[in-house]
Amino acid sequence: MANFLETKVDKFIFRVDPTCFFNSEGVWVRVEGNRARLGLSDFLQQRSGDIAFVEVKPEETILVVGDEFSSVETIKVDLDLTSPVSGKVVKVNPALEDSPEIINQDPFGEGWLCEMELSAWETDQPRLLDANAYFTQMKHDAEEEVKRK
Amino acid sequence: MPELPQKKVGIIACSGEELPEGTVTRLAALKVLEKLRPGDTVTICLPLFLAGGEGDRAFAKFYPTIAIDGCEKRCAYRGTEQYSNRPAVGIVVADLIAEQGLEHPQGRRKLNAAGMKAVEQTAELAAGKVDELLGKAWSRREGKFSSEPAQGESVATCSCGSDIPVQKVVVNGQEVTLVALPLIFQNIFQLGKVPVSDLAHEIMAMVNIYNSIDPANEAAIEAVVLDAYASYCRQQKEKA
Amino acid sequence: MSDPVKKVVIVPCSGIGKSFGTVSRVAAYQVTETDRPDQTQLIPLALLVMGDEESRKLLAESQAITVDGCKLACATKMVQQSGGQVARDYAVLDVYRRYRDFKPQGIAELNEEGEKLAAALAKEIDAVVDELSAHKEGGSHA
Repeated sequence: MANFLETKVDKFIFRVDPTCFFNSEGVWVRVEGNRARLGLSDFLQQRSGDIAFVEVKPEETILVVGDEFSSVETIKVDLDLTSPVSGKVVKVNPALEDSPEIINQDPFGEGWLCEMELSAWETDQPRLLDANAYFTQMKHDAEEEVKRK
Repeated sequence: MPELPQKKVGIIACSGEELPEGTVTRLAALKVLEKLRPGDTVTICLPLFLAGGEGDRAFAKFYPTIAIDGCEKRCAYRGTEQYSNRPAVGIVVADLIAEQGLEHPQGRRKLNAAGMKAVEQTAELAAGKVDELLGKAWSRREGKFSSEPAQGESVATCSCGSDIPVQKVVVNGQEVTLVALPLIFQNIFQLGKVPVSDLAHEIMAMVNIYNSIDPANEAAIEAVVLDAYASYCRQQKEKA
Repeated sequence: MSDPVKKVVIVPCSGIGKSFGTVSRVAAYQVTETDRPDQTQLIPLALLVMGDEESRKLLAESQAITVDGCKLACATKMVQQSGGQVARDYAVLDVYRRYRDFKPQGIAELNEEGEKLAAALAKEIDAVVDELSAHKEGGSHA
């Protein structure tokens, strides 16, 4: 289990998995060989609230960076998530159908959204934030949100 | 460094579903939270004091709270006092109705006109108390609230420019900077806490939220902080 | 002579932070005021927090149905902590997952879909009340 990067803002604790890359929305990517898993960051799931429904593009869907790949309905908001990578969806997390709350409980682990076969990782990666860069951005966003409340 | 939450007032409604007055408390609290003082208030769930919600417990100790109860049982006031900290203000809807000669509210799921009138009066009273607790002074000459500190008062802020108030204390001959200490003193003073030795632990619990305190120094800091609070109380009384 | 059927206690969420709390309360009122007034009684969470003796006594003698507005599950936890027996616990979010078209909005007042969700939840609770009440009546004739 990775040692998370962690910060406390107000009464909330937010974690970032150091093995992942992130787009600015808060979708994470964990690459293994030519495949990757995608999911929601801890900050994104906490900010969005309890998840009611999740839809992910089915297997065999071809995606380009920026294509919508998932919609998440929470008790507070409706999220349309864009793919941080290009490739083909090869697996959708089966747990999401009956237990979408798994995303809230374990956003970097059992709450993954889908797996993809990557087609352009060399060009996609430089556009993403590594864990430290995302941690900095997330901390700033969280602090701004507390000020606004 | 953790961000210091903006000063706010916590509103706790009893929300007692048995009586129409309970519905009044809930709607009045919502009116204050959403319409009358949206930036200055936050709600706390009463049952969370027991069912979880450690963040809520810390909040009610740190910030002044207004308890809005429907009846003489005063569950919101007593529950907050018992599990978190004495509320700064308690409002009882049944008393307010009697004092103002209002009609008794009817309906629990949906209030009648008398109930909605009670909501209005309760919300206005609570909003006024929010202003008092936040230290806003009404200027009759200017016709507006003034929240600027009185002349001559200045608050040191952290050098990073974040405007988080800090205070330096001397512990065993060494200067120690404590983040949020002025605000902690301000809030517990408003709650009427006197600088007795029992209070020292309570102050240190709040200091620990915003500062990393070396356990080896904690006892010494605790004693110094209590002295500092005693000085603060003397200064406030001299001003009054 | 058979024992009188004790009421089923309904304990809704008291939260005012989200519309799910309001759905919980509206459903509880629907059951206790309109659908099954003779078989049910509503107990406010605030009284359980304060250890109200009358409420604790009632809980000890009855079966409870709790309706929680969020995952903190205050209603269920408070009933258990107060010595009550939770016959059925509802989480409004789970109920919403069964009635996806009834997306609730509004806290002080629910939107139309929220009212429908509350009505659907009330119907489910009514069925449980009937089941629990029938069980008790059957038991007393044994």
